[in-house]
Amino acid sequence: MKTSVFAAGLLAVTAMALPAQADKLDDIIASGTLRCAVVLDFPPMGSRDASNNPIGFDVDYCNDLAAALGVTAEIVETTFPERIPALMSGRVDVAVASTSDTLERAKTVGFSIPYYAFENAVVAREGVEMATWEDMKGKVVGATAGTYEAIWLEGKVKEWGEGEFRPYQTQADVFLALSQGQLDATVATVEVSEASGNFPGIKIVDKAPMVPDYVALITLREEYGLINYMNLFINQQVRTGRYAELYKKWVGEGEPANLTIQGVYR
Amino acid sequence: MFNYNFRWNQALNSLPQMLEGALVTMEIAILSMVIGISVAILLTLFRLSGNRLLYAIATTWVEIARNTPALFQIYMVHFGLGGFGIHLSPYLSLLIGIAFNNAGYLAENFRGALKAIPETQTRAARSLGMTPIQAFQNVILPQMLRISFLPMTNQMVWAILMTSLGAVVAMNTDLYGVTSDLNARTFRTFELFAIAAVIFYVITKVITLSARLLAARLFRY
Repeated sequence: MKTSVFAAGLLAVTAMALPAQADKLDDIIASGTLRCAVVLDFPPMGSRDASNNPIGFDVDYCNDLAAALGVTAEIVETTFPERIPALMSGRVDVAVASTSDTLERAKTVGFSIPYYAFENAVVAREGVEMATWEDMKGKVVGATAGTYEAIWLEGKVKEWGEGEFRPYQTQADVFLALSQGQLDATVATVEVSEASGNFPGIKIVDKAPMVPDYVALITLREEYGLINYMNLFINQQVRTGRYAELYKKWVGEGEPANLTIQGVYR
Repeated sequence: MFNYNFRWNQALNSLPQMLEGALVTMEIAILSMVIGISVAILLTLFRLSGNRLLYAIATTWVEIARNTPALFQIYMVHFGLGGFGIHLSPYLSLLIGIAFNNAGYLAENFRGALKAIPETQTRAARSLGMTPIQAFQNVILPQMLRISFLPMTNQMVWAILMTSLGAVVAMNTDLYGVTSDLNARTFRTFELFAIAAVIFYVITKVITLSARLLAARLFRY
């Protein structure tokens, strides 16, 4: 009798101690660290300062998310193509890395609601005759491999059936190629284009006629708890004015992009 | 913990595109070997010539090709020459970069092979009335190529694998370029790169095996 009561008590205590299947959100809070994949070759979203510390919009955004969760942030530098392996292999918890939320990619990773939206601009070499974006037809154009604008531009070149598309590995290489004359024009986010002043002999020509590039936070597809939290977090960032504050700090004066879309939910 | 569901069918749909990329990869590797072997023979001749300028050119080439990363060499062909207004397409940059690297390594292989050929053979050929060029061409060169044949297949394998470095000069039609482009679109990283790895493996295996068969036919005593 006594032993069975003891056994029942032991069982009850164990049942309470065992968590009801901890998910990623629990893991992050329990571990006290939020590991974010950030691309640090993409100013003003991510870059390094003079003493090599990660800085930028995405870095601050990760820090804010960590602060909301009550944990410390750890910035893990990745390239654009490395974001997914880093996530899948468990090296990072989320990617705060300007990831465009395409339907094709959503088959593989879990997207939050958009946290930023880019407009894209056509940037050309000064010697090249170019008045509108359509003058890119037949020219040698390029963009940063694996980005939304690269996928768009490659599609355009295929559609035109003339000219050449070149995907360089980094944004810096794209501008280097452009200022050397290896490329006639490129498409890059307005934010990046305006920061391209270090490279001589290139100029912004026109806006690229693309649907704005909505970018979202990503994590594993099945982590609904975390995705749910991130959605609310993004909403709060806008609501509290932190979004506008970060925009002013990293991008400049003016209005940050509207993250809602007229006439549809989410 | 590895959190990923493999979906092979989606990735396998891209196989035709990747095989096209594999063809470009093989084309570059083969062309770079043809150029590399020709230049390496020239560099070997430079080093044998006794002319100090030619010797210096050959030595510099070999030193740079062997002691700097291939990635750097390819990057310099594209952006280094680009700085001087010489614009090469990604394809040409990659081809020249790999050929440059091949030539350096092969020249060193040839030097080793030459050491294995007794000098008395040249003297014997000369005493038969051959000119120095004839002696090199008819007696030394065939043996040199035979001795260094297997190291050459090794270099060929390297050339194939080095094509993946074309990404730094915006090459997007070779096997690696096609794979990474597909990856950016679909995020099916693991399937796509696993398939690419298998294709690379098969190509290098086929090349080494056929080189062995070729060697068995060419070098019958």
